Amino acid sequence: MEAPPVTMMPVTGGTINMMEYLLQGSVLDHSLESLIHRLRGLCDNMEPETFLDHEMVFLLKGQQASPFVLRARRSMDRAGAPWHLRYLGQPEMGDKNRHALVRNCVDIATSENLTDFLMEMGFRMDHEFVARGHLFRKGIMKIVVYKIFRILTPGNTDNTEALSLSYLVELSVVAPAGQDVVSDDMRNFAEQLKPLVHLEKIDPKRLM
Amino acid sequence: MRPFLLEGGSVSQMPVAEGKNVQQTVELLTRKLEMLGAEKQGTFCVDCETYHTAASTLGSQGQAGKLMYVMHNSEYPLSCFALFENGPCLVADTNFDVLMVKLKGFFQSAKASKIETRGTRYQYCDFLVKVGTVTMGPSARGISVEVEYGPCVVASDCWSLLLEFLQSFLGSHTPGAPTVFGNRHDAVYSPADTMVQYMELFNKIRKQQQVPVAGIR
Repeated sequence: MEAPPVTMMPVTGGTINMMEYLLQGSVLDHSLESLIHRLRGLCDNMEPETFLDHEMVFLLKGQQASPFVLRARRSMDRAGAPWHLRYLGQPEMGDKNRHALVRNCVDIATSENLTDFLMEMGFRMDHEFVARGHLFRKGIMKIVVYKIFRILTPGNTDNTEALSLSYLVELSVVAPAGQDVVSDDMRNFAEQLKPLVHLEKIDPKRLM
Repeated sequence: MRPFLLEGGSVSQMPVAEGKNVQQTVELLTRKLEMLGAEKQGTFCVDCETYHTAASTLGSQGQAGKLMYVMHNSEYPLSCFALFENGPCLVADTNFDVLMVKLKGFFQSAKASKIETRGTRYQYCDFLVKVGTVTMGPSARGISVEVEYGPCVVASDCWSLLLEFLQSFLGSHTPGAPTVFGNRHDAVYSPADTMVQYMELFNKIRKQQQVPVAGIR
């Protein structure tokens, strides 16, 4: 067997300063089929992909005004897939020339003892939900169409109830900071989905 | 699969030979390995950074500041290991290092606590041996010896074999079974088990030097 490549350099790293560009919208349940149909036509030719995820949102409270938020996601329909830990920074609306909401993001694949580890770090679970939907890709753009389910008894993902009569639609790109050009491609793509769905740059502060 | 590993040795188990320094003792060990017929196969590095809960968060949580260790191993170059003493070991990708930067306000790296071991990898048939010099800052603090037996994934099934092999070049300094095997004899060995052993070894070496545990100021 070949020896694995080894290095004297200490291994530290990761991708610094990645940004998520995001556009959001929603469709009523009865319009789902036509939207999926349109996406199948516009997106990369891939096998239709669906997902069923359980997401838990954890908070770490310090003396700072706002707690530190982390999202832990696991696939419920793909056994053995790594857990996904996500940090999202403060969303920036930016000016009119940028067509998408931008926020700093760190995506980490982890082992399945993630929740235990976060608790050990001092994080506490704030809320959880189940997301079920479809995933599409076009180049580096990712399009997810999914429904959010409320978990009726904490921790029991079998006992859920749909939160609304609609599906959330998100168009996102993760790119290094400063690549605002990607938001142009996103807008162009969003234009092609009209009038089935209107994807917009939604300021989360407006909803609070 | 090649995850079997035993790692023992430290200043006490592998004492610096009389009249020799750490480097000379490492040379003595590696010469013994070469005489056995082991072949050099590159180098390795394991590092460990200590983080403590930032003082600002202590009051609100009402718990003593625990130490968290973030480690890397050149054998698993795309992974990052985060551990608590006697707690869970999280295996993540290296973006976890970026997250620690974001968490600066909550977890701070203890000053001058970075400890690492570097050395040469040796292959001897199905055994992989890594002899490293443990350093903290500029000073050499001890010697780490790691032995991995490739064909077996259950620690208890090959412990006596490992012991025998270790005796062939460590002699009377051969360590006892690592505590990580203590209560789960049939468990499949994983890279996290290796990292737990390195964390314990590093902590032991830190304490032996009468240096207060990093993070407690």
